[in-house]
Amino acid sequence: MEVESDRVIDARGSYCPGPLMELIKAIREEDVGKVIEVWSSDESSAKDIPEWIKKAGHELIGVFRESDYWRIVVKKTK
Amino acid sequence: MGKLAIVLASGELEKIQAASIIASVASTLGNEVIIFATMDGLMAFKKDIVENKAWKTAGDLGKGMLETGVPLFIDTLKQAKEIGNLKIYACGMIMDMLKMKTEDFVDIFDDVVGVSAFLGMVEDAKVLFI
Repeated sequence: MEVESDRVIDARGSYCPGPLMELIKAIREEDVGKVIEVWSSDESSAKDIPEWIKKAGHELIGVFRESDYWRIVVKKTK
Repeated sequence: MGKLAIVLASGELEKIQAASIIASVASTLGNEVIIFATMDGLMAFKKDIVENKAWKTAGDLGKGMLETGVPLFIDTLKQAKEIGNLKIYACGMIMDMLKMKTEDFVDIFDDVVGVSAFLGMVEDAKVLFI
């Protein structure tokens, strides 16, 4: 699926909670409405980041499996 | 939004890593999080230990953590302090006993407190002992 992201964070090679912490930092820096995606080669991050997004109240646009990593796409809603 | 307190008494890397991840993620979700570093848990923050990555490990998992380049608890906690409501306190009793100063530790503590002050802070918190 093609998603137009405002910002891409490449956290491949990092482990939990690295990708999540980098995403959180980016969400804080961006304005409401922006779409941010984080790339993670760590499967547990790919599963847990959507849980964080739900709890934090942002919108999960999707988790997309690429060849050897995941793209987790989120819209900042508040 | 809740309040979570962790008594970090273990100096084993595996346990400190687990504590730091739970504390950090909780703090980014609007929770107030307090870590009280005492006993060997406090020693893990000594400058020389951190510089040499000389933490005790329970076994191969901890050694693997040091080799694979997972984010280490010091960095995770520092990041979380920038983002969320996380406070880390050093145990005054241990520092008095060993005649240590704040300068002997990495720059991460919000304050040095005793057990009474800590108990006052956590009256309305869930407390984990690690």
